[in-house]
Formats: sequence, C-alpha cells, structure tokens
Amino acid sequence: MANGSLLTHLLRGEKYPAGGGCLCLAGDCPHCLATVDGIAYVRTCQTPYHEGVSVEPHPESGRLPPPVSLGDRAPVPARSIHCDVVVIGQGPAGRGAADEARDAGQHVVTLESRLGQDAIGIYPGPLVVARTNSGMWHLYPREGIVVATGASEIQPVVPGNDLRGLVTARAAAELTSTGIDLGRVIAVGTPPADVVATTVAGELVRFEPRSGDPRRVGAVVMRDAKGQEQRHECDTVSLGLGLTPRDALLRMARGTNIRGVGDVLLAPDLPPCPSTGVVCPCAGVTVDDLRSVHGRGFRELDLVKRATLAGTGPCQGAVCVPHIRSFLGAQGSDPPASFTARPVTRQLTLGEAAAGAHHAATPRTALDSQHRALGAQMERLGGWWRPWHYGDVDAEYTAVRNGASICDVSTLGKMQISGPDAVALLEHLYPVPIASLAPGRSRYVLLLDERGYVVDDGMVSRDSETRFTLTFTSGGARFAEAWVRDWAESLDCDVRIMNQTMSLGAINVTGPRARDLLALAGVDSPPAFLHHAVATVAGVSARIFRLSFTGEMSFELHHAADDSTDLWQRLLDLGAGLGVRPHGLEALMKLRLEMGHIIVGQDTDFDSTPRRLNHEWAVRLDKPSFVGRAAVVRTNKVSLDRQLCMLEAEGEAPAEGATIWAGDDYAGYVTSSGWSPALGRSVMLGWLRVQPGINAGSAGLPTMVTIDGRPAHRVTTRSFDPEGLRARA
Amino acid sequence: MRALERMLFTRVVATPAAIDRAVWPTGALVLRIAQDEVLAAGTVDLGAVPDQHAIVEPETAFCGAWVDHKSGIQFLEHACDWELPAERPAFAQGAVAGIPVKVWFEAERILFLVPVPFVIDFAERWS
Amino acid sequence: MNEFVERLVDLRWPDHVRPSYDVVIIGGGGHGLATAYYLATRHGITNVAVIEKGYIGSGNSGRNTTIIRANYGIPEAVRFYQHSLEMYGQLEQETGRDLMHATKGLLWIAHSEAGVRQERARAEINTAFGSRTEYVDVKTISEICPQLDMTGQGVWPIYGASYHPAGASARHDRVVWAYAEGAMRLGVHVHQRTTVTGFLRDGDRVTGVQTTAGPIGGGLVVSAVGGHVTTLASMVGLRLPIRTHQLQAFVTNRYAQAFGPIVASSGLGVYVSQTAKGEMLVGAEVDRAPAYAYDSGHSFLRSCAFRSIALLPFLRDLRVLRQWTGVCDMSTDYSPVMGFTGVPNLLVTTGWGTWGFKAIPAGGEQMAALIATGRTPPLIAPFALERFANDRTMADRGSAGTH
Ligand SMILES: Cc1cc2nc3c(=O)[nH]c(=O)nc-3n(C[C@H](O)[C@H](O)[C@H](O)COP(=O)(O)OP(=O)(O)OC[C@H]3O[C@@H](n4cnc5c(N)ncnc54)[C@H](O)[C@@H]3O)c2cc1C
Repeated sequence: MANGSLLTHLLRGEKYPAGGGCLCLAGDCPHCLATVDGIAYVRTCQTPYHEGVSVEPHPESGRLPPPVSLGDRAPVPARSIHCDVVVIGQGPAGRGAADEARDAGQHVVTLESRLGQDAIGIYPGPLVVARTNSGMWHLYPREGIVVATGASEIQPVVPGNDLRGLVTARAAAELTSTGIDLGRVIAVGTPPADVVATTVAGELVRFEPRSGDPRRVGAVVMRDAKGQEQRHECDTVSLGLGLTPRDALLRMARGTNIRGVGDVLLAPDLPPCPSTGVVCPCAGVTVDDLRSVHGRGFRELDLVKRATLAGTGPCQGAVCVPHIRSFLGAQGSDPPASFTARPVTRQLTLGEAAAGAHHAATPRTALDSQHRALGAQMERLGGWWRPWHYGDVDAEYTAVRNGASICDVSTLGKMQISGPDAVALLEHLYPVPIASLAPGRSRYVLLLDERGYVVDDGMVSRDSETRFTLTFTSGGARFAEAWVRDWAESLDCDVRIMNQTMSLGAINVTGPRARDLLALAGVDSPPAFLHHAVATVAGVSARIFRLSFTGEMSFELHHAADDSTDLWQRLLDLGAGLGVRPHGLEALMKLRLEMGHIIVGQDTDFDSTPRRLNHEWAVRLDKPSFVGRAAVVRTNKVSLDRQLCMLEAEGEAPAEGATIWAGDDYAGYVTSSGWSPALGRSVMLGWLRVQPGINAGSAGLPTMVTIDGRPAHRVTTRSFDPEGLRARA
Repeated sequence: MRALERMLFTRVVATPAAIDRAVWPTGALVLRIAQDEVLAAGTVDLGAVPDQHAIVEPETAFCGAWVDHKSGIQFLEHACDWELPAERPAFAQGAVAGIPVKVWFEAERILFLVPVPFVIDFAERWS
Repeated sequence: MNEFVERLVDLRWPDHVRPSYDVVIIGGGGHGLATAYYLATRHGITNVAVIEKGYIGSGNSGRNTTIIRANYGIPEAVRFYQHSLEMYGQLEQETGRDLMHATKGLLWIAHSEAGVRQERARAEINTAFGSRTEYVDVKTISEICPQLDMTGQGVWPIYGASYHPAGASARHDRVVWAYAEGAMRLGVHVHQRTTVTGFLRDGDRVTGVQTTAGPIGGGLVVSAVGGHVTTLASMVGLRLPIRTHQLQAFVTNRYAQAFGPIVASSGLGVYVSQTAKGEMLVGAEVDRAPAYAYDSGHSFLRSCAFRSIALLPFLRDLRVLRQWTGVCDMSTDYSPVMGFTGVPNLLVTTGWGTWGFKAIPAGGEQMAALIATGRTPPLIAPFALERFANDRTMADRGSAGTH
C-alpha cells in the first residue's frame, strides 16, 4: 500500500479505530474495524489510506452501527476473467507458485489482500470471487487454484486483552518497519523480527492497564515456572502465541482442483486452555460463558458456537476458534475441527455482491411504442409488457362486441414443427387426435404433465402432412418449448423445431365486423372457423388463424415482426370508418370471462386436472397414449373433490380472490370476476368444493352460494351466446 | 454504441447433416446458432438446404450494431460471465448484461445481435 | 456481557442406548424433537429415542430464516399454521425458555396486477379462517416500512401488499433446544452423532432401525429427516412425492435495530427481516421448476443482493457476513406430508420444504397425538400421504416454495 494502511495512519496519530484489543494487521481480527467513508465494519488494516478519508469508530460495545446507505450511486463494476490459474495470497509461497505457473506459460491471476484484493469465496465452477478496490472480479480458472493465504496469529485470551498497546508479533515487526515507535516492547512467545524487545518467559496471566490511561496496557503479568506471578511494565506487548492456518478457502473448495502452499498447510497450534477473559471479541463471549454452556450439555464446537454466538461475528471465528478448540480438548473431547467454511471469507457490501447483476428484462412486442403513443397503461403480464387498457375499457369492450377491434397478441408462444415424426410427436404430446386434423385446420389443446395436470393451453394448426404450427400462452411459452424439445428428444422423433415467439408478431382482429375490416384490408374470403390460411393483409404477408377467445368472430394474423407496425397502423386507418380501436388486456379479460374461457395460471392451480377444470371435453381417453393419460385414467376412478365453475351474481363484480360460501361452509374462491355489460350482471370463474349433502347439485357441487355476503349461483352453461354462434358467424 | 438497426436474416432449422452440406450465399454472414439451426444474412433458397423437412423462414426480429473491436471487448468483459472466444472470426451467444445476445467477432469489429423485444433494455444497459 | 448466550437450557444427554424404544424418531431437527416432546408432555410416552446423525438442529431447523406466519392459501393450511403460530406465542411460557420470539408483522408486496390479485386473495382466505391479513395500499405500506423504495428502482413499482400483523420470528436453535431439553427431562433419549443406515424388518413391518451405533428396536419408527427423506424411504421401498431442492440465505453484520417488519416480494423473489441480533437476513424463493433453480452459491448471492437492494436501497452499503444452503424436502403440492406411510409401523413427517420452521409446534403436537392414539387428528388429516393416490392434493399457492 503506497500510502500505508488506514490503520497505520491512525496509529501514527495515536488514534485507535476500535476500543482496543490485540492488533494483527493482517485482516484476521476485529480490533481495527471502523466505519470508513460511511461504510461500517471496514478493516482499517486492509484499507489503503487516502486523503480526506473519514473514519468513525463503531459505537461503544453493546451498541451497533446504524444500517444506513450512502445512497444511490453508480453500480459497482464487475469483470469476468477466464485464466489458467488463480493464486490467492502473494506472500513468499504465493509468489513462488505464481512464478512457477507463469514460467510454465500459464495465464495467472493473483490476489493479495494488502493490495485491496480479497477473495471472498470459492464457488462451484470453479469460480473465485474477489472484492477489489476497483470493483468485483469473477475469476474462472481453467487449470486450478492455489491457496497461499498463510496463517493467522493466535490472539491472547486473558483478562485485559481488550486494552490498547497489544499487537501480534508480526504486527509489531510491521509497525516498527513503518517507523511507528512502539516504546518499551515486551515480547511474549515468539519475539517479533527486527524489533527491540524484552522477551519474557512463562505463562501469560493478564494485561494490566497503565495508571492514568485505563484503556492502555501498562504491564503484562506472567506466571513463571515456579508458579510466581511476574509483572513487566511496558508500552507495548508483542504476542507470538502460535499460528492457525487461514484455510477457509481451501476447505470451502473441496472437490475442485485446488492446492495449498506455504503456511496455510500448517497444523494449527493449540493455545493453552483459556481460564478467564474474553474469547470472542466480536460477540463478547467469555471463558465463563464457555464453561456455562458446556456444563449444560453444549459440548460440540457447533453447539458451543450456536449457544454463545462465538465465531458468528465479523472475524468469523478467526480469534475464538483456536481457544474454543483448546477449551473443549481440555474437557476431554477431541479438539474438533473448525466450523464448516462458508462464503464470504472476507466481507463485502451488498452493493458489491450485486455487481454485474441485472433486473430480468421484460420483453416488449414490436408494437410497444404504438401502445404507449395511444396512451396505453402498460403492465407486466405473462412475462411481457402489455397494454392493460387505452383509457376507456368500456369503449374497448364495446368495439369488440358490437363492431371490430384489434389486439396485440404477439406475446403468444409460437412454434413450427416439421418432419416425418411430427404427427407421432404431437399425438404423444396432446390429449386430442392429431393425425385426423386436416391440413388447413386448427384445434384447441391442453398441455398436460405426467401427473395429468394442465400446464398450458394453446392451438395446434396443421399446415401440411408433416408440418404444424403450435401456439402456447404468453407466460407458458418458455416452459412449452422445453417440454416439446424434451419429448422430441426422449422419443427420438425425426422433427425440426423452430421457436418463432419473438420472430412473429400477431394481431387479433375481432368483433362482428371483423370480416368487414379484413375485406377493407384486401382479404375477401378469410378462413372459416378453426381454419387457417396464408393471405396478404393490407399489403403484409400473414397467416390468418380463425379462432376465438373473445367470443366474437376473430382472425389472428401472424406476420413477420418487422411488419407489425405497418399492419397495426393500416388496420386502424382502414377501420376508422368501422370505429375500429384497439383493446387492451383488461377488456379482453372481461370478454373471455363472459365466454367462460379460462386463463391457465390465473384460473388454474398447479394440481388442476382436466376434470377439475371442467375440460374433460378436451381430453380423448380413447387415444391409447399421450402424456398424462395414465394419471388422468387413475384419478378419474376417484370421486371429484373440486371444480372450476362459472358463477353469476347480481350487482357489481366481487373481488378476484373472494371466498365463496355454501351456507356456513367454505366452498371455494373466485379466480376471475368482472361485470358483464352483455348480461347486466357479474360473471365469475371460481373453484367450488364438492360437498355432498349441503345445498348440492347433482355433482355434489353447490348451486346457490354466497360471495362477499351476496347471493350468487353456479351456472353450467354460460349465459352469453351459449352455442358459440358469434364466433362461428 | 451506434443505434441498433433491424437486420434481415433467414433462419433455417434442418438436420445437422443438411446444415453442414447446405449452400449458403457467398460472402454472407452465416451464424450456426445450434446444431440444427442457422441464422444467415439475406435470403436462402429452400433448395439450398438438402433436407426436405427443413424449416426456412425470414427472420426479422434481430437488431444489430457493429462496434469497433476494442470497445466491444471492453463492454463484454464487464457484461458477461462467459469466456470470450480467442480466435477470429468467432461466434458466441449468451447473456450479455442479462440479455440473450448473439455476438460475431471479426478482427477489427464486433457485431451484437439483439432480439427486438430486448433492444430498449440492451441499449440502456450498454450506456 | 453477551445477551445472546443461552443461559437456561440444560441438555441432559443419555449415557447409554437402549436395545429398543416404544418410539424411535429419526432426525433431531425441530419436527423430530417436538414430536418427542409432545409424546412425553402430552401423552406420557417417554420410552422414546431421537436419533440424529449430526448434532441437534444441524439440518434445516438450524439454517432457516425463522419466519413464522399463517397467511397460507387454502383453509386447511391457514388453520394448521394459525394453530402453530398461536402455539409459538405460548411456547416461551410453556418451556420457560427465552426463544427470542417477536411479533413483527409481515408485508407481502405486489408489483403487478397479478400480484395484487394474489395478495387480495391471500387476505380474504386468511381472514376467513382466523388469521388476520389485510390488503394495504401504498400509503400504509410506507408507514409500516418507510425504507421501501416504492418505485422499486423505477423497475418494480409497488402496487400494494397484504399485511399479516401476526407474522413473527424466533431464534431457531433455541426452539430446537427447548424441545430437546423438555423431552430429555422427561426421559426421552436423544442420541447425537448416530446415523440411521437401514431399517429392521419383520416381513412388511418395520421393527426398528439399523444405526452406526448398532440396531435399535422400535415399536413405531418416525422419519423426521428433512431433506434426506427420499433416501431413507427408499430403504423400505417407499416412494414419496418429494423432491429435494436447495434453498439459500445470507446475513449481514449486526446493525442497530431499525427495521421492524418482515418484507417479502414474490415479484422480486426475496424476503428480508432484521434478526434480534441486528443482522439483516435475506432469503429467496425456491424456483418451481428444478431446471431453473439457482445454482448454488455465487449467482444466488449476487442476484439476491441485487434484488433486495431494489426493494430496500438502504441495504446497499451493509456488509455481507455469511451465506449458507439447506436442502429442502419439497412436496409436489407445496403442502406437508404427515402420518402413516402404508409401510406398517413407519410414519413420516416431511414435505416441510422451505416453510416448516413455523410448523414445528403444531407438527410435533399433531404427530404425537397421532402416535399416541393411532388415529389421525382432524387438523392434519388433509395432509396424509394417501392424498396423492386419492387425487386429494392440497395445492397451496400461499406456500409455493418460500419462507
Ligand atoms: C435457507 C432456509 C430458509 C428457511 N426459512 C424458513 C422460514 O423462514 N420459515 C419456515 O417456517 N421455514 C423455513 N425453512 C424451512 C425449515 O427450515 C424446515 O422446513 C424445517 O426446519 C424442517 O425441520 P425438520 O425437523 O423436518 O428437518 P431438519 O431440521 O432438517 O432435521 C432433520 C434432521 O435429520 C437428520 N438426519 C438426516 N438423515 C438422518 C439419518 N439417516 N439418521 C439420523 N439422522 C438423520 C439431519 O441431520 C437433521 O438434523 C427454511 C429452510 C432453509 C434451508
């Protein structure tokens, strides 16, 4: 560190970041933590000094820094580096390993805490994540990882170990070399290199404060071989009490190509069993606490940790674990290994952890700016941005029921399948006959999983003997593609599959005058109900699918995505005389609800069988096999427990999610609800439980129910256009 | 980066063997986006792909932008987790700034191909 | 002095293993230990062993994010979890132990019209079945939790939320210990560092377990092994509708108390609370499709940190202390599985997935009642294993793979 560390800078000015305690200068202990430039829990010994830095000590013990942020800033940058070898630690052993790898021609990335580069964890991949002063590094080593993180020095656990003026032997050497005067130094244990110090022998008993400065050490008391206490006055105590390998990264990465070099491989020194004093400075745990919990059955390292919280603070057990091991060893149990090593081994802020992450981008159709220009309120629906309404839901609804309207349905999942096995694959996937579907025809389909649950719905259209177009719901398309490809692969089908969800736009032209609008667009004989055909619509090449979700005559125009804006605008222009206007999803929800059409996801649950959805008509059990058939056959043998039903009530629409009651019994809840202008009452879809006996119709489903304290009744056939004549018109 | 502009491709799905043997327009950019799938700049005849069940469709849902090599690499280093190809020319695809993008690397310049539904988000994340 | 040192619990471990017990419970997590506790305290059945391969609470019971709530999505679940929530409220008094139980209130945020529908439905069904939850608007939300970014970084604006005032938390380990202590005080044997490796059989019947400490006979054997249940069940040829998913969480350092409620967001897939110690605790939702599950470790930390900042910007400059993973026994309908298995003398309590900490008191109490009486109590009858064969699954969107 060019300017030296923040800690040495502070010590030069006789300032201590924290209360006291034995400083290690190596990033192991919690004694130099402070709030630096507004961020709490920063190790000042690992932070380079810079002009104007603000350092605030943490609040006195027992109080905690406030959880506050510096506010909005540019995100922390992240870099991915693919290399051959990552060497963590650049002490002598790490430098040697890095040189060796470089000499062998390998691309080596090194990390060194003192340069502000902290490895925070090794993850499967392997991936070494490092926090650096210039952002996060994500390192992907192809060959291996070398851990050369060395060893930390054992801290003293005796009374007075929270005083100032205590340093580890290495820290004493380093402070001296940076020109800091330590005064009279007493060395306990291994003496510091190149420091003038008086080495004292014996067993460490306690540190005593200096008269006049109760926070600073004035003397160290040792017990000699004869059991006599000896008091040594001093300004600084250097403590060379032994080493513990910093091997958390090594232990974390088991199973990857990783090796340790240097001190990280040392067997840990075991300090003498502590008899009194603070063991865990982070959590304020004393030897008495250890004794207390141990005496009450907390005998394992992990249980002691959990019962005292020793080792759960910012130093992650670096200070306390050697002493707890020693303590447990002295109670007769084997000194246990350390805790499980988990990331993060060095701390980072959430902002740093988040570096390189992005919000999931919500896709937009090619008509997105058209919707916004028309004043649409855009919503995330089915995983896309979609127009919820254009300001006047009633007018949008009316345009569909009485005239003609257009709707952007580009978000539908769209897929082409071609090949000799296309029929065989689709026969397997869908619960309705496919082979008998003539070219030019379309059919509504449910997708079932192996448990017989409905996971999506859509249309199958046959283009030729060997070629089909499939559609899926907007939200289900991603799943459906995986589903089709998985089955094609596992059945070893000779088919070609092209996902065109994003490639094609789709505009639905719907309403009693939809045909008139198409005529204005140059289509004189559009396909009949459940047929499809290729045509030029207002100069745009499109495939027209005749189906209906709104209940009105509808033509779905699939076209190349870059033609969407032209087609949309021309339809609006051509239809001006017909009063054509676009409708959003809110109107569509109401339109389909009048028809009793379900929306997979909103009206279905994740255990909805076709029977529960009242969609048995969409499953042909006379087909010998299809996905989910065995489950449907099996569950059909058991009585029905609940069913999605159509309901109607006078007055305004109850809230979606409202509970449904049959007398005093819970009967179910409403999944979709809306006021029907066509009927002059509210229509709903909702789950009803089969409750034999009470107020029950023939199927055991209640007929008269209460919703929001108002009467409502179940209907078995929809009231609006029950024969579906409008769609077929 | 320069504005992303609509690019016209032909998308072909066919057996891997047919794709190996297909005749692509000379000099055109031809990206093998899967074993059984190609994105080729310009138009491709059905007859050029020796698979009678091939699906050959115009593909208009990509926007592309060429950027100079250096700034492209600089962006990618911070925006994706995957390893950039070393050879040139090279094709790669994956999440870039969290968006599914196809990237064509030439010696001097790099082409980013972004699906139209994500163009606005991608442009925002690039800046 | 550290106020968090456990100063009361006294764990009296057995000094020998008996050749057989009336009831052998496999797994010393919350569910196994609570079952033993209620067998002893409520039914006088004390010739019971709990066999734990690690130390007690070393499974998910010591790794969870400790959220206690009853705002589930189906009446059967609301009733069950409400009962458990109420038992938690009494548990400190019953056991005489400080469980650091605190009622905090839980906000479940909606960021879309679909989210609003879901939270409204939650409020309806909860309140109807005795667990108050109300739908609240943005103004109330920012009063309850002023730290929320109501614009969701301009990307995930907040539309509304359901608010469940009874949402609570407790210290996970202390719950485990209170049950272990209470059970052992009445003579239950808890054997740590003992792994069940197989079953003793007499024909179809299970007659005990094979363990690393030798065979142990059992009149009844109860599996309460958390995420390891399918492996164990396969030893008797039992197939369960359980899949194992990883679930992860992380905590920050300790900060002064400043964040009252528990805040969850389905849109962002995260939930955040502040522990009694002052750590900010961040958890995530399990992805429904195993294929889309977070890969372990870094991508979880990165994306979860990112999403939680979008919800609560003050988290940005707090420092992450530790992350960890648990393996969860996810049932396919997101409801628990309790009771008989079809294998004579073998019972299970499983399917606790990502949500079973809150269920420990009621789960233990009801399993104990079932064992003592041989009959399934009505509160848990809907959660019997046979529901899968009988097409009586309990799909619960209010559970759906989160806390
Ligand atoms: C990250 C995370 C967050 C969570 N958050 C919440 C939350 O906020 N709220 C909530 O209610 N729930 C939460 N949960 C879920 C909750 O933790 C679990 O559902 C609950 O702890 C399950 O308890 P259990 O006793 O069934 O299982 P466990 O606690 O896992 O206990 C099973 C025990 O069985 C032992 N065992 C396994 N195999 C054997 C064998 N062969 N022999 C002997 N012993 C064996 C294990 O060692 C383990 O101790 C969360 C889970 C995770 C992982």
